Amino acid sequence: MYDHFETPEPDEAVKLALRRIEESTARGEGSDVAGLEFNEVVVNMGPQHPSTHGVLRLVVTLDGELVKDVIPVIGYLHRCKEKIAERRTYFQYIPILDRTEYVAGINCEWAYVLAVEKLAGIRPTRRAEFIRVITAELMRIASHLVAVGTFTADLSPLGTAMVFYMFRDREDVLDLMEELTGARMMFNYFRFGGVRYDLPDGWVEKCRDFVRTFPAKIREYEALVDDNAIFLQRTQGKGVITQQDVVDYGITGPNARASGIPLDLRRTRPYSVYPELDFDVCVEHHGDVFDRYRVRIREMRESLKIIEQCLDMLPRGPVQVGSLRAPYVITPPPGSCYVGQENPRGEFGTYIESDGSRYPYRLKYRDPCFCNLQLFPKLLSGNKIADAVAISGSIDLVLGGIDR
Amino acid sequence: MIDILLGILRAVLFVVIAYVVVFVAALVNIYFERRAMAFIGDRLGPNRTGPQGVLQSVADAFKMMGKEDFRPLAADPVLFTLAPVTVMIGAVAIQLVLPYTDGLLATDLNVGIIFLVAISSFTTLAILMGGWASRNKYSLVGALRAAAQMISYEIPMLLALLIVAMIVGSLRLDHVVAFQAHYEWIGFYAPFTFLMFYIASIAELNRGPFDLPESETELVAGYSTEYSGMRFGMFFLNEYAGLTIMSMVAVTLFFGGWMGPWNGAVSLWGVDLVGVFWFVLKSYVLVFLLVWVRFSIPRLQADQLMGFAWKILIPLGLANTLATAAIILWVPSWKWGLLVFGWVSFFAFVGLFDPLLKRRLRRERERQPVVSA
Repeated sequence: MYDHFETPEPDEAVKLALRRIEESTARGEGSDVAGLEFNEVVVNMGPQHPSTHGVLRLVVTLDGELVKDVIPVIGYLHRCKEKIAERRTYFQYIPILDRTEYVAGINCEWAYVLAVEKLAGIRPTRRAEFIRVITAELMRIASHLVAVGTFTADLSPLGTAMVFYMFRDREDVLDLMEELTGARMMFNYFRFGGVRYDLPDGWVEKCRDFVRTFPAKIREYEALVDDNAIFLQRTQGKGVITQQDVVDYGITGPNARASGIPLDLRRTRPYSVYPELDFDVCVEHHGDVFDRYRVRIREMRESLKIIEQCLDMLPRGPVQVGSLRAPYVITPPPGSCYVGQENPRGEFGTYIESDGSRYPYRLKYRDPCFCNLQLFPKLLSGNKIADAVAISGSIDLVLGGIDR
Repeated sequence: MIDILLGILRAVLFVVIAYVVVFVAALVNIYFERRAMAFIGDRLGPNRTGPQGVLQSVADAFKMMGKEDFRPLAADPVLFTLAPVTVMIGAVAIQLVLPYTDGLLATDLNVGIIFLVAISSFTTLAILMGGWASRNKYSLVGALRAAAQMISYEIPMLLALLIVAMIVGSLRLDHVVAFQAHYEWIGFYAPFTFLMFYIASIAELNRGPFDLPESETELVAGYSTEYSGMRFGMFFLNEYAGLTIMSMVAVTLFFGGWMGPWNGAVSLWGVDLVGVFWFVLKSYVLVFLLVWVRFSIPRLQADQLMGFAWKILIPLGLANTLATAAIILWVPSWKWGLLVFGWVSFFAFVGLFDPLLKRRLRRERERQPVVSA
C-alpha cells in the first residue's frame, strides 16, 4: 500500500552508533539487567526535533530512559561562509556575518570588523566605540533571552509561557535596534572605523527607558522559576562541566563562567572601551544546568549596567573615521591576525589571512558553539533523556555558527 | 416487547449523548486551553476564525479529517488501526455511570466507582497499542512511559475513591450525589483526598506537569508520533475530552454533582436543566484549574514522577484511608471528625510539602561539589 516509502539505509552516524553498541557488548559492557543481551536502541534526535533548536542532529543510543552515547551530526546549515569570504571584498563580507550566529548578529560583525581594523590599522572613532558597545550589549540581552526562554521551554509547558514573556521583552531590544540600524536581526551596521549611522533623535531616551524597565522583567523571570522546586530539581547537579572539561574542550562564555572560570574576553583580553567600563564577570561555581541559567540571568543585569554607563559617557563626534562615508574598498597589508570577541555564547574569533589584495586570502571563524558542541557526547552520556534535553538546552547552541 | 424497544432506544440515546459530550467537550476545551494559555503567556491566541476565534477547533477538526490517512510501512496494521478507536472507550463509557443531572443517568450501576477505575484504564491500553504498533522508538518510549505512569497513579486515585465510598457507604454514583445534598460536599469533608484525586487525575490525563508520555521536547509527540489525520485526531479528541470527563467525575465525587441553588426550577421531561448547568459550571472551574496548573509548573522527570507516586502519594493515601476509616468507625460525630482531620491534613500537606522539598534541595545544593575548587 505504501511501498513507495522504503526504509532508508542507515547512514554513517547511525552505523557508527550501532558499531559502538556491538563493541561495548563484545567487551561485556552491555546492560544485562534483565538477562537481555541487547536492549539498546539508536534514536535520531533531529535534525527536525523540537528540542534541538535548529538543525542539529544527535544520534542517541538509549538504554530505556538512559542516554548511553551521543554522536552529534552537523552540517545541515552549511553555507560555505568561510569560502565566500575569499571572493568578496572586505566590505562586502560584513552582512554575511549577521547570518552566522543570527541570534546575536551584531557581535559577530564586531569580531570581524575588529580583525580587519587590526589588520589594516584603522582606529574607530570614540563615539562609534560606545555605540558599538551599546548595540552589542543590547544584543547580548536579546540573545540571552532567547537562550533562557528556549531552555525553559525545553523543560516544560511552563516554559512556553516563559518563552513568550522573553520574546515579548526581546521585541523591545529589537525595536531599538530596528530604529538604529533599519533591521531587526540582519543589521549590517558596523563599518571599518565606525558604524553606519549615528543614533537617531530620541534613541538615547528610549534606550534609557529600556534600561530602567528591564530589571523588573528580569525579577519576573526569576520569580517564575528560580524558586520552583521542580525547576531546581530538574536543573541542579545535572550536566556538570568540570574545569578540566572547560580547558580540554575550549569551552568559553557563560558555560565556562558557570564552572567558576572568570573567562570573559571583555576583561581578560579587553577591546574597545570595555576597560573604562565598570561591570562584573558573572561566575558561578557548580558548573551545572542551573548555574548556566543563573549566569545568563545575571549577565543581563551586567549588560544593563554597561549600557547605562555608555549612555552616560557617550561623547559627541563623528561615528566614522575620516570622511562621511566609511572606506568601501580597503587593502590591508599582507599578514594575518586573529581577534577574539566576547559573543553571548563565548569567544567568537575571526582569523584573517591577507595577501594585500582587496579580498581576504583566507578567513576562519572560531565559533564558541562549535567548541561547546564537542562536549555533548561526554556531557549527555549517562543522563536520562529528559536531563539530556535540559542540558543541551542550557548549553545554548546556534547552528548558524556551527555549520557556517 | 415495548419495554425492550424502549430500553434499546434509551441505550442508544445515552451513547449518543456520551459521544456528543466527548466531541463537544474536546472542541470547546481545545479552544479554551489555547485561549487560556495565550492569556497566561501574554498573547492573543486564536481569534480570527469566527467571533473571538471560537470556530478555530471546528476548523482544525475539518482540517484533520481532510488529511491523508497515513500508515507507516513497518507498523502493525491491526493494532495501529484499532488503537485510535479503542482510545475513546474510556471517555465514553465513564459517562454511562455519571449522573448529569436529576433524572439523566444512563445506568445506576451498583459498582459505579469501581466501574470508573476499571474503564478509565482503557486509555492506557489504547496508548500502549498505538505506541507499540507504530514501530517507532519515540512512540514506544512514550507508550511505555504512559503505561508506567498510569499504573502508578491509579493507586492513589483508587485510594481517594475508596475514601469517598467509605464516607457515602455506597459505590453508586447517584448515592454519592444524593449524599452531598444541602452542600455537604465531600470535597469539604475530605479536601486532602480531593487533592490526591486531583493530582492522580492530572497524571491519568497525561497533562503537565505529568505529561511525560508526550513531552514534545523529548519524545517529539510521544505515542502519537506516527499518527496523522483523523487517527491522530482521535487521540487528540480523547485527550481534551478527558479534561471535561475527569472534571465531571471529580465534581460528582467531591463537589455535589448537579446539586446547586434553584435545582428543578427549569425542567424538561423530568430532566432538571438547572442541574446540568451547575454540573457543567463546576466542571469547567476544574478544567480551568487543570489548564492553569499545566502552564504554571515545570514538567517532572520520569524518576521524580514515579518517586512522587510511590514514595509520597501512596503512603500518604494509605495513611489517609486508615485514618478516615478509623474516624468513621470510632468517632461518634464522625462528620465533624472528618472535617477537622481533612482540613488539618490538607493544610499540613500544602504548607509543608514545598518548604520541606526546598529544604532538601538546599541541603543537596550545599553538598554538591563545587567544580571551581
